[in-house]
Amino acid sequence: MNMLTLSHVCKSFGGRPVVDDLSFSVKPHTIFGFIGQNGAGKTTTMKMILGLLAADRGNIEVNGEQVAFGRTRTNRHIGYLSDVPEFYGFMTPGEYLELCGKIARMAPSQARSKSAELLKLVGLDGADTRIQGFSRGMKQRLGMAQALLNDPPLLICDEPTSSLDPLGRKEILELMLLAKNRTTVVFSTHILSDVERICDEAAFLHQGRIIRGGTLEEIRAARREDGPELEVEFYSAADAERFKARFSAARMFSLSGVRLEAQDEEAVPGILEMLARERLPVRRFERLEPTLEDLFAEMVRG
Amino acid sequence: MRQLTAFMRKEWLESVRTGKVTILLLLFIGFGILNPAIAKLTPRLLTLMSESLSETGLSVSAVKVDALTSWAQFYKNAPLGLIVFLLVFSGTLTNEYLKGTLINLVTKGLRRWKIIASKGIVLAAFWTAGYWLCYVVTYGYNAYFWDNGAAAHLFFSAFCFYALGIWLISLILAMSAFFGSGSGVMLGVGGSFLIVYLLGLLPRIAEYLPAYLLNASNLTTGNGQPADYAAAIAVTSVWIVLNVVLAVLRFNRKLL
Repeated sequence: MNMLTLSHVCKSFGGRPVVDDLSFSVKPHTIFGFIGQNGAGKTTTMKMILGLLAADRGNIEVNGEQVAFGRTRTNRHIGYLSDVPEFYGFMTPGEYLELCGKIARMAPSQARSKSAELLKLVGLDGADTRIQGFSRGMKQRLGMAQALLNDPPLLICDEPTSSLDPLGRKEILELMLLAKNRTTVVFSTHILSDVERICDEAAFLHQGRIIRGGTLEEIRAARREDGPELEVEFYSAADAERFKARFSAARMFSLSGVRLEAQDEEAVPGILEMLARERLPVRRFERLEPTLEDLFAEMVRG
Repeated sequence: MRQLTAFMRKEWLESVRTGKVTILLLLFIGFGILNPAIAKLTPRLLTLMSESLSETGLSVSAVKVDALTSWAQFYKNAPLGLIVFLLVFSGTLTNEYLKGTLINLVTKGLRRWKIIASKGIVLAAFWTAGYWLCYVVTYGYNAYFWDNGAAAHLFFSAFCFYALGIWLISLILAMSAFFGSGSGVMLGVGGSFLIVYLLGLLPRIAEYLPAYLLNASNLTTGNGQPADYAAAIAVTSVWIVLNVVLAVLRFNRKLL
């Protein structure tokens, strides 16, 4: 059974469709990246999954149960981390997690041990000052602890890394990877390198619709019909120029580097042969994998 | 039940740590002392001023003060106390919308009606404690200096104003379910009170309105009977329940 299923979900604000006939599902114990530009409908979709927003049409199921707006029943399956999580500044992290534990109807002893374990996991076990003095990164880590407190089968993170510095981002991504052992993770982002780092599956959302989805491998494969792109770097600019002169479509990407697209897979050995024949010393010869950034830019441009 | 008590405990902790409880204690104990103090000082002040007054042609004869003077002060100061109370707590829900602090808890499965219930119970408890503390302090001083026997229906008349406070608290809850900002809530509560007050100028319906409870202070001087306020109390009670029901229904559909 899928952990999360959306079928034909629509939502518009003031006549403007924000989510348009959206359907996808997430299998248990995967990290699912939900990718899109700002305003693509990511947050709206997540809020509908959480029952914080009513869908105009369509059906959302979490762990086999239907989500209803304004009710919170299905939320017992979900841990949620928002982009900028807000806490009660007058509480300490321990007190806040205790409150969350009671609200999630956990047994007091279980809540205590779990919150100690999670505070340690997110590196806040020594912080028993009030939350109001916390940095963004600390709040995000506390948000992660809060989201995982009741061992939810589904963890939803809305742009958890977008407001963080590189170190904070790394920490949160690592926490999500760790969380994968215990739960299914759905996280939205516009930072594609984050997706490449930790996701098993992803969906590209554009203007409220999914324009491509599947495993990262499938998404990349969709572009492989074109020949492989190569990057060749030489020790001198003169060598680079000589090499470039041989290929009409080649272009310089630095003083001594050339980028070119081979016709197909068979053309690659021929290029290597030519380099050997001409005795051109190569500093680096690399076959470029299409980045998600490239794919996304292509898809959005249509 | 655990969700309810957990959220109520959070409300209590918040009020203590953000200084609201201190403000309320100072306010209500302060007024409690001020009421008899003003009554006690009035003759002295007038004696001090009698010379300058007599120069303007006004003569001051012996001023008699008793417990009634102090209770009159109580009913002058109580509305002020209520207004400060409402100002301090008018943002109880809207501040949470503004910061987004409810989202975590709702997504943890906190039932929405329990948010309204906890806030209502805690606010009512604060009002109960603060208002009756003020009453007890004034009562104690009055008993020491004078004799509370001079005032009739003391408890009942104080209860009428107390009920008005509970009605306004229920209005805060209802308005908070509709409005997103603290100023919206204050306008809604203030506007509702003004309308009810103005409607009270129509003699036919005056005695059925919550604002009529403001007149209950007249009972202390022997004007009227408690039964005169039965209709207003009944209407106010029903209205309080309606406000809470409305708040819960609307809050269930509220975007957080």
